[in-house]
Amino acid sequence: MSPNRITSPTRRQLLWEAGGGLAGIALASLMQESAEGATHFPVKAKRVIFIFLPGGLSHVDTFDYKPRLAAHHGQETKGENTITPFFGKRGTVMKSPWAFRQHGQSGKWVSDLLPHLAGRVDDLTFVHSMTTRSNAHGPAIFQMSTGFVFQGFPSVGSWISYGLGSENANLPAFVVLPDPRGLPPCGVANWGNGFLPAAHQGVIFGDERMPIADLNPPSAVSPSTQAATYDLLTELNERHLRDNPGEDQLVSRIRAYELAARMQVSAPEVTSIAGENERTREMYGLNDPVTRSYGYNCLLARRLIEKGVRAVQLYNGGHFGTPRINWDAHEDLVANHTKLAAGMDKPTAALLLDLKQRGLLDETLVVWTTEFGRLPISEGLGEGGRDHNPEGFTSFLAGAGLKHGFSYGATDEMGYRAAENPVTIYDFHATILRLLGIDHTRLTYYHNGLKRRLTDVHGRVLEHLLS
Amino acid sequence: MWRRALLAIAMAPAVWAQDSALALLAERCAKCHSGSAALSGFDLSTRTGLLKGGKHGSAVTPGDPASSRLFQWVSEGKMPPDARLTEPQIQSIRAWIESGAAWTGPEKLQVEAKRAGRDWWALQTPQRPEVPAAASNPVDFFVLSKLRAHGLEQAPVADHRTLIRRLSFDLMGLPPTPEQMSEPYEKAVERLLASPHYGERWGRYWLDVVRFGETDGGEHNFERFSAWRYRDYVIDAFNRDKPYNQFIREQLAGDAIYPDNPGLVAATGFLVAGPWDSVSAELNKDLAMKAAARQDELDDMLTTTFASFQGLTLNCARCHDHKFDPIPTRDYYRIAALFNGSGFGKREVATGAERTARETAAAPVRAELNEVRARLDEIEGAVRSRLLIEKYSAFDAARAKEAKRIPVNPLWNRNAFAPVTAKRFRMVVVSSGKDAPLVRRLDLLPGGTVARDWRGAEAASADRPAILTLNFAEPRTVSEIRWASEAAIKVYRFEWSVDGERWTTLCSSLDHVAGSELDLPDLPEAELLSALSPPLREERKRLLSARVAAQARYDAIPALTAIHAVNPHSTTPAYVLDRGNVQKRGEEVAPGALSAIGQISCDLPSTATDSERRLALADWIASPNNPLTARVIVNRIWYYHFGTGIVNTPSDFGFNGDRPSHPELLDYLANAFVEHGWSVKWLHRLILTSRTYRQSATFNEKAHSIDAGNRLLWRMPLKRMDAETLRDSILFAAGSLNQKTGGPGFLLQKKGDRGSYIYSAVDNDGPEVWRRAVYRFVVRGGDRIMLDSFDCPDPSVATPQRSLSNTPVQALTLMNNAFVLRQAGILAARIGSDPDPIRRASHILFQREPSAAEIATGLRFLKDQPLAAYLRALLNSNEFVYVP
Repeated sequence: MSPNRITSPTRRQLLWEAGGGLAGIALASLMQESAEGATHFPVKAKRVIFIFLPGGLSHVDTFDYKPRLAAHHGQETKGENTITPFFGKRGTVMKSPWAFRQHGQSGKWVSDLLPHLAGRVDDLTFVHSMTTRSNAHGPAIFQMSTGFVFQGFPSVGSWISYGLGSENANLPAFVVLPDPRGLPPCGVANWGNGFLPAAHQGVIFGDERMPIADLNPPSAVSPSTQAATYDLLTELNERHLRDNPGEDQLVSRIRAYELAARMQVSAPEVTSIAGENERTREMYGLNDPVTRSYGYNCLLARRLIEKGVRAVQLYNGGHFGTPRINWDAHEDLVANHTKLAAGMDKPTAALLLDLKQRGLLDETLVVWTTEFGRLPISEGLGEGGRDHNPEGFTSFLAGAGLKHGFSYGATDEMGYRAAENPVTIYDFHATILRLLGIDHTRLTYYHNGLKRRLTDVHGRVLEHLLS
Repeated sequence: MWRRALLAIAMAPAVWAQDSALALLAERCAKCHSGSAALSGFDLSTRTGLLKGGKHGSAVTPGDPASSRLFQWVSEGKMPPDARLTEPQIQSIRAWIESGAAWTGPEKLQVEAKRAGRDWWALQTPQRPEVPAAASNPVDFFVLSKLRAHGLEQAPVADHRTLIRRLSFDLMGLPPTPEQMSEPYEKAVERLLASPHYGERWGRYWLDVVRFGETDGGEHNFERFSAWRYRDYVIDAFNRDKPYNQFIREQLAGDAIYPDNPGLVAATGFLVAGPWDSVSAELNKDLAMKAAARQDELDDMLTTTFASFQGLTLNCARCHDHKFDPIPTRDYYRIAALFNGSGFGKREVATGAERTARETAAAPVRAELNEVRARLDEIEGAVRSRLLIEKYSAFDAARAKEAKRIPVNPLWNRNAFAPVTAKRFRMVVVSSGKDAPLVRRLDLLPGGTVARDWRGAEAASADRPAILTLNFAEPRTVSEIRWASEAAIKVYRFEWSVDGERWTTLCSSLDHVAGSELDLPDLPEAELLSALSPPLREERKRLLSARVAAQARYDAIPALTAIHAVNPHSTTPAYVLDRGNVQKRGEEVAPGALSAIGQISCDLPSTATDSERRLALADWIASPNNPLTARVIVNRIWYYHFGTGIVNTPSDFGFNGDRPSHPELLDYLANAFVEHGWSVKWLHRLILTSRTYRQSATFNEKAHSIDAGNRLLWRMPLKRMDAETLRDSILFAAGSLNQKTGGPGFLLQKKGDRGSYIYSAVDNDGPEVWRRAVYRFVVRGGDRIMLDSFDCPDPSVATPQRSLSNTPVQALTLMNNAFVLRQAGILAARIGSDPDPIRRASHILFQREPSAAEIATGLRFLKDQPLAAYLRALLNSNEFVYVP
C-alpha cells in the first residue's frame, strides 16, 4: 500500500540500480507475497524484440486481405460508414495495388509487397483487430510505445527492464536501434524511462566504433591515461568510502564505474559482426545497399538477445519531413510502401528465420507493429495515398508461448473498423507482459498519487493467442 | 484491542459476544462503512451510526437478528463482498444482536480506512501545537521529541567546512569559494539568501513541479521561443521572496490582475508550461478526436494546478469518483470549467503607449499596402474570377449528375432549396479565417449575377458576421444560389425576409459535404498574364515589387511583446462527462472548486468570464483558510532541504500518498508560514538555523536499523548532486561559469531541418553554453544529453521528486563526455602554474587541505600523466558528487 518512495532503498536495490539490472528486483519484491517463484506466471519468453514501423503501415496492402475493396473500388463511403480522415480529404474506396496470394501451411493471404515475410507466416501470430485511441501520429505512437497517449510515460522496454532486469550486467537491459535514416517521430520519448529510475532508459546503440554514447573518451585521451585515470579514481573512491562507512550509495557508485568499464569491453564485442559468416550476411541483406543498414540492426538485435539483453527496440522508418522516410503514405502509397518494404521485408524475415534456426525463437518474443493502419479510401478524390486509420490495423507476434500460423480478430469487409474481437493497445501490452511471465496488473510504480501501470486501468490478456 | 478480545475465552458470554462482534465489524466491515465517506451512507463505527443504518434502511434491530439486515446479509454471504464470514463468526454476530447489540468500551471502532473521507487529515485546518517557551528552535523541538520517543538522538553538529559547503550547494547549487570558508554561519545564510543564484537554484525546483518545457512535445514539438519569460518570472519571484500567496495568484491569473505587465502575464505560463498536442488541436479534421484533445488540455491544467498547490491527484476523478480521496467526478468537471476559457498559444502584452507607438508606425505602411493590393485586385480580380470559375464549373458540371453538393470551397459553390419568392435576401458569412470575406460573384437562379467583388469590412466570426444584403424592388423567385469567393469563406448561410427584421435560412454551409476539402490547382501565372493587356501586365509587375517592398517595411516594424502564456477565450457550458467521454455529456455544471474543503468555497455562475474564474480559483487556493496550500509548500521546502519530506510524496497529500512523519511540525510550520507573510525566505531561515539542519551526516548503525530511511532525521543525509548542480559546479570549479542571468535559453539540442521535428544533441561549446543549466532551452523528448543520465527529468510530466540513481551510463558520461574533459582541461590551465596544483585542486573542489596520502597519490600520478587527467578523476570522485 505504501508508495515505493517511502520505503528506504535496500542494499539490493541500490546494487541493482547500479548494475542496470542484475536480477528482477521489481518483480522479486512484488512477488514476496506469492509462492509462484520469480515471476507471476510461467515464463514463455525471456527476452523481447520490438520492431516498430513508424508512420503507419497499411494493413489492407500487406496482411489484411480485403477482396471486397476491389468490388467497391472508386465508390464513396456513405451514412454511418462515412470516414472522416485526419486531413479531411475524403476520397473513394481504393483497392490494394498489390496482388494477394496464400502462403504456407496456414494458407495466410499476404500481398506481393512482402515476399520474404510471406515465407514466414507459419511462425507468426497475427492480430488483425488492433485499435488505438488517436488518429494523430504523436499520441498514437506514444500509446504504442508507452501505453499512454501523452508524452512522458515509461516505455514498454523500460517497464520490462524494471520488472525483469537484465541477464547480463555488462550490457544495458534495454537497447534501442533507431533507423539509420533518423530517429522515429517523437524521438527519444519512445524509449524514455518516464518516472522510472534512469537505469531503465533505453540505450541507443550506434555504429560499431562507438556503440554507446560516451563509451570511450575522445581520441585525444591515450589508453594509458584512460587506464591510469580509472585506477586513480578507484583509489580516491575507496579511500573516501573508508572515511564514510555504512554508505550504500557510495558503494553502488563505485560499482557503477566497474560495470561501465566492463561495458566498454562487451559493447564493441557485440556490435562487431566480423565473426558472422557470408551466408548470414547475405540472409540479412548486408550485401545490398537497400537492406544493409536495417539488416545490420536486425543482426545486431539477434546478437544482443544472445548476450542476454532483455529488450531490443528496432525501428524501420524515421521521423517526419521531406522526403518521407517512414510509412506515412499520404501522397503515393505505391511509391512509399514499395520503397520502405524493400528495405524492411528481407532483413525482418531473416531475423525471424535466424532466431528459429538457432532455437532462440523458443525463448524470445518478437513484436512487429506500427502506430495505426491506413484507410481503405484514397486520400482525396482520384489520388493515390491513404490517410491514418486508428479503427483497425494489423500487428504480429512471433515466438515462444504463441499459437503459430494463427490469426486473431478481423476488420470489417472494407478493412476499416476492427469488427471481430477488437484489441486495444492495453490488451496488446498485457499479452506481451504475460508472455514474459508478468501480470500487467501487478507490475506497478508509485508516481504522483497513483500506482502506475503500463496498461493504466485497462487491459486483458489475449488468451486465444497463447499456445 | 478488539483483536485481543477475540482470544478471550474466560469472559461472560454477553461480553464475549460483544467483543468478538465488534472486532469483526472493525476488521471486516468498517473499512468501507465508516466515517463521512462510508459506502451506502452506512457508518457502523459508532453505535449511533450502526442503529441509524444507511441507504438500504435500518441495519440492526437489537434483540432480533432475523429482522436485522446486517445479520441477514452476512449470513447470506452478501457481505462482506471480499470473503464470506465463517460460521462461528456469523453466529457471534447473531448472538450479539440477540443479546441487545451492546456497545460498551470505546465509542468509536478503530478502523484502518481503505480510502480518505472528508475527515482526511490534510483537509482539516492545521492545528496549533504548543512549543515550550524554552525551545530555542521549534523545528528542533518537534524533531527531537520524535527522535527521543524512538530512543534516538541527533548526530553531532557538523564542522564548519561541511556546513558552509552544505549551505552553498543547498541555497545556490554551487560550491563555495575557498575565501568564503571562514565566514560565520549566520552571515553565510544571509549572503546566500540574498544571492541571485539562490533563485536559480530554488526556481529550478519549482520548474520541476510544474513540468516546465520550452517545446510543445509530441509529433510537431514546436519551439516556444518566449516561454523563458515564465522561467525568469519564477527565478525572480524566489529572489524577491515574493509572498507565496501572491505567487499563486499571479501564476493562475496574473493576466487578469496585471494585463499590461508582460512579466506578470508571463506568470500564467504556469498553466501552459506542459506538453501540448498542437496536431490534434489544430490540424485534426475529426471533431470528436479534437474535442477529446481539448479535454486533455484542461486535464493537464487542472491536474498540474492541484498537484502543485494542493498536493491532490485530481485527474483520478475524470472517469469515476476518486477511489481514494473525497473528490467526486462532479467536482472534477466543476474545476475543469474553471479553465475552460483558458487556452494555449502566444499572446501580445503591451501598454497603451506601446500599442499607440506601434500603430503610428504601422498605419501608413498598412495603408500603402492596402492601396497596392486594391489596385492589383482591380487589374486581375475580374480576370481571375472569370478564369477560375470557368475551370471550376467544368468540374462541378461533371459531378452534377451525382446530385451532390461540393464542399464549401474558395471558387464555385452552389446550393439549392425549395423556391422562395421575396424582395429581401442576404448572405451571412460567419467564418472567413483571418481575412475579410470576399464574394467575387453571387448568382441567384433562376436569374443571374446579382453581386460582384463584394468585400466584408473585417474577418467574419460568429460574433461579428459579415452580411451581404440584397434588396430588390420587385419580388423574385429563387431556388438556387451560386457563388464564387476566392477568399476563405468557411461558414455561411443564405436567408430571406419579408420585413428585414426576421430572417429565415434557406440554405447554409451545413448543406455541403462536411469535413472535406478539394485540392484544385490555382490559376497558373502564365494563363493569368495572357489574359491581361501589355500595359496592365507592366503595371502589375511594378505593383508586385512595390508590394514586396512595402511588406518588408511592414514586417520590420518591431512587434509588440508576444509571450507564451495563457490565452483566454470565451467560456463554454461545462458538463459532467460519462467516464471522461466527451461524446457522453451528463449534468451541466457551473464552475467551482473542491467540495471536500469545507472551510472556504468557490462557487461561480456559468456566466463568469475566464479571468473571473481563474481569479476566483487563485483566491480560493491562496486563502489562509485553505488547509492544504501552506502545508504543501512548507513541505516542499522542507523536502528540498532534507531530501525527505515530512510528507514524503510532496505532490500527493491524499490517501495514496505518505502520512506525515511529524504532523505537529507540519502544522506548526504551515501556520507560522502564513503568519510570517507567506515568506519562503523566513522558512529557510527557520530551518537553516535549526540544529536539525546543522547536524552532521555521520552514519549511525543503531539509528539506521530503526529508521533506515532517516525519516526521523537522526542525521543529515548524504546527497548526490542533481544534474544541474553537477554541471554548474564543474563549470564553477573550472572558472568557466558564465553568470549571465535571464533571457532566452542556450541550446544543447537543435531541431533538424527539412521539416523534421527531432532535436539532436549539439556539442556547442563556449561561454554561451557555460551558463547555469537552469537557463538551458528545455526541449521535450530531445536527444540524450549529459543532464538526462543524471536523472534530470523530461518535463512531459511533473517531477515533484527526482530519482537519484547510480548507473554505468552515468559513469561513462561523466568520465568520457567531451564537456567534462574540456572543463578538466580548463581547470588544469587555470591552476597549472600553481606551485602546488594538488593542494589548489583540493581547495577548489573540496574546500579542504589534502591529506598526506592524497598528496603522495597525486604526485605519483602526475609523474606520468597530465594534470587534466588528475582533475578529471577528481571531478568523477564520490567526494565531489556527494555533499554531506
